Amino acid sequence: MIPERELFWHAGPKTLFYLLSLVSVSIFFYGLTRHISVWKKGLKKEKIHLSCKSIGSVIKDGIFAGRILKGDISAGIMHLLIFWGFSFLFLGTIVLAFDHYIYHFLFGKKYLFFSFSLEVAGIMLILGLFLAFIRRYVQKIGRLENKREDFIVLLWLVLITFTGFFLEGLRLSYQNPEWKKFSFFGLLFSNIFSKDTAYMIYPFFWWIHVLLSLSFISAIPFTKLFHMIASPLSIYIKDQPYFIVPVEEREDVFTYRELIQIDACTRCGRCVEICPSSGVGEPFAPRDVISLIKEKIFFGKKTEYDPKLIWYCTTCGACLEVCPIYIPPFRIIRELRAREIEDGTRVPALMAQTLERLYKYNNPWVSSKKRTEWVKGLDIIDITKEKEEGLLCYFVGCTTSYETRAQEIARSFSKILNRCGVRFGILGRKEPCCGDIARRVGEDGLFEDHTISCIELFQEYGIKEVVTSSPHCLWTMKNEYPLLKDIDISFFHYSQILERLINEGVLNFKKGLNIKVTYHDPCYLGRHNRIFDSPRNVIKAIPGIKLIEMEHNKENSLCCGGGGGRMWQEELDVDVKMSERRIMEVYDTGAEIVITCCPLCLIMLEDARKTKGLEESLKVMDLNEFVLMALE
Amino acid sequence: MNIILCVKQVPDVTEADIRIKKDGKDIEKEDLEMVINEWDNYAVEEAVRIKEKYGGKITVITLGDEESEDVLRRALAMGADEAIRIDEEGFEGSDPRGIALGLYHVIKDLPFDLILTGAQSADMGWAQVGVLLAGMLNIPYATLAVQIEIKDKKVIVKRELESNTFENVELPIPSLITIQSGINEPRYVSVLGIRRVRKLKIEEKFLDDLEIPPDKVGEKGSIIESMKLMPPPEGKGAEIIEGSIEEVCERLAQIIKEKGGL
Ligand code: SF4
Ligand code: SF4
Repeated sequence: MIPERELFWHAGPKTLFYLLSLVSVSIFFYGLTRHISVWKKGLKKEKIHLSCKSIGSVIKDGIFAGRILKGDISAGIMHLLIFWGFSFLFLGTIVLAFDHYIYHFLFGKKYLFFSFSLEVAGIMLILGLFLAFIRRYVQKIGRLENKREDFIVLLWLVLITFTGFFLEGLRLSYQNPEWKKFSFFGLLFSNIFSKDTAYMIYPFFWWIHVLLSLSFISAIPFTKLFHMIASPLSIYIKDQPYFIVPVEEREDVFTYRELIQIDACTRCGRCVEICPSSGVGEPFAPRDVISLIKEKIFFGKKTEYDPKLIWYCTTCGACLEVCPIYIPPFRIIRELRAREIEDGTRVPALMAQTLERLYKYNNPWVSSKKRTEWVKGLDIIDITKEKEEGLLCYFVGCTTSYETRAQEIARSFSKILNRCGVRFGILGRKEPCCGDIARRVGEDGLFEDHTISCIELFQEYGIKEVVTSSPHCLWTMKNEYPLLKDIDISFFHYSQILERLINEGVLNFKKGLNIKVTYHDPCYLGRHNRIFDSPRNVIKAIPGIKLIEMEHNKENSLCCGGGGGRMWQEELDVDVKMSERRIMEVYDTGAEIVITCCPLCLIMLEDARKTKGLEESLKVMDLNEFVLMALE
Repeated sequence: MNIILCVKQVPDVTEADIRIKKDGKDIEKEDLEMVINEWDNYAVEEAVRIKEKYGGKITVITLGDEESEDVLRRALAMGADEAIRIDEEGFEGSDPRGIALGLYHVIKDLPFDLILTGAQSADMGWAQVGVLLAGMLNIPYATLAVQIEIKDKKVIVKRELESNTFENVELPIPSLITIQSGINEPRYVSVLGIRRVRKLKIEEKFLDDLEIPPDKVGEKGSIIESMKLMPPPEGKGAEIIEGSIEEVCERLAQIIKEKGGL
């Protein structure tokens, strides 16, 4: 006898099966189109481009679980087992259908190989599901939130797989073919019942298996299983170019990108685990905001969330770094803020005050336009007065201009530049806010105003190179200005300029400093702008310095709590502040000085140092101050 | 419920160094930003909330120069429907009666159920324009409202009295209410909101069109004459501590200790 398998052996009626399949597939497609129609609402004029790099990412992070494995190997293995097992079984079903209806080729050795592979796939699936159960209900991994849906989906898959093997067992016990050892797993179930009982109960279990499987297919678009479709898409679109729709043209806040990302979230909780706001016990979790929005947009639930929630996020970007499918919750939250700002009635009072000040006085700090107080006693060119072309434009930024502690950044940086003979100038009283705050809190009209004033000023004075104090200004100018207007200007952060001066040999340190220091990566310098090494290289250029890394460094750095408008929203703070958590990590390194590269970090860490009573043992310094100290 | 709102633009002095003009009659305003009078902002919000609940139309009126269109646009962005600006020319130096007269001559021809004004202005602080206007229109009024409720064509107003006491009064319609700060939380007005009303027409009225006897308004028509502005005299108990933050703090701590505060 030639090894092969008869489809629909002892099962049927076929017509009923076909009918039910049709129903199930129709429900699936109906659900799918509902998702797609929501995505399309956000599509606007932008198209999704074909990109090999993105396909590569889908293969790496989707099929091979790249990011799922990162940081949590057991999760990765679980996903790989389930994904591969499921995919093979699914493919197997298609191959069987092909063999049955179109071209019969599954017989003899080919069939045996086929049968054997499906056994392996089934075992992988079972192992994966077992692991999932353990992780969720035995290990009780903290970041996993257990809803009823999670249990049902898991149980469903288990039932489908087991009924499948059970059926195989029944068939084997009746047919008892000589090649049965190739179905080694199903064989385990073949001795439970006698040949006759097996034959009798087979149709019953066949229908159970069929109904479970068909309903599973139709449930995909209505449960978290939909991530099978949305998650690879989310990975694919991560490198698609961003665009900003001018406020007056946009109908709603979400673009197709955000809608797909919201849809794709699997509630894995990695973002919650890493989020600095959740970390200090603030009543906020990025995953939960996304879940709520998703239920609202995609499943029409009328869940109202506390509008205060969206103001917690510092937009630090840590969540994007760990999300297996590259969802940036902070961008989605930003869009929600834009909606609240437009509505106006629920904007937190302090935030509203800050924005009004920004609008009237072009800075978030004081109701005054005295931007250049920090210059006192220094010799600095005002580009808007001297009309000297070709100067490096030092964009001081609001915080550095107005906040007393942060003013030291501007003063020390200017002194270093002067010492090195760099020709530079500032925009003086005419310097506007760069627009970062407005953008981060969703005041997009104001962001547009700020962007236009900055660009016009740069163009009016023929500025080609800009260096900023704040990594926030840098990010906004470098990445968001070009989305509104074509510009031909290079933007740098001061740490890059310092590094350049050292490399050119203009800035050199004769004396050494014998101190232990650590470096705090500002979120916007590191994670957002990917500048990790410049400041470290500057520090290491000073002889004698011992640079110790903190537990969280570089892309894993911990936010100081000042970004995303949080600097001006003290009412959101809880018992422990993000900055305090960070300063304790600094303290744990045993360093005498923590160096940072951002006015917001400087202020936050300085405050935390005081509230934690570390004034004696620890100093907080800006990189410029530190360099100046080494020079003097 | 048709509402007429009277608002005013005032200089923002929250953090400014105020200097008095040489003639001693006003402060230097060149470096100051102009904003909506704080009390009026609450009045706008209250009007918009009433409109959102009961429908109707809001007409916002100001008396001021062209720059004061900003406060009208702001009110439009918050939800007002129409705006009228009475040009300041001829009204300069008016006392509260002069201002109320200007408003009266515009409002007397408009249909309305309620008039809302701020309880007072941040700059002059007379707190009289509202009540004078009610007198001229011969309608009842309530001042310092901290809560407004509308029930069967009646308005119940909770008024703030001395030392944390309140009273409820009932007014018929039409009537005038002056709004105390803190009655609500005024909504945020986004740049987009302001841009959206950029093109709305603002009706303009001039003194000549209003049939007001010119000798009743302006500096000449004033019964009250402002003689001299001056900063409050430094009291005896006041000590201005100067020096670096550390020195200031140290001195402050010392004083608190001396006076038995610690
Ligand atoms: S956003 Fe990403 S990391 Fe956060 S729960 Fe969703 S899938 Fe997981
Ligand atoms: S950006 Fe930072 S603060 Fe915001 S949700 Fe992500 S991790 Fe949390």
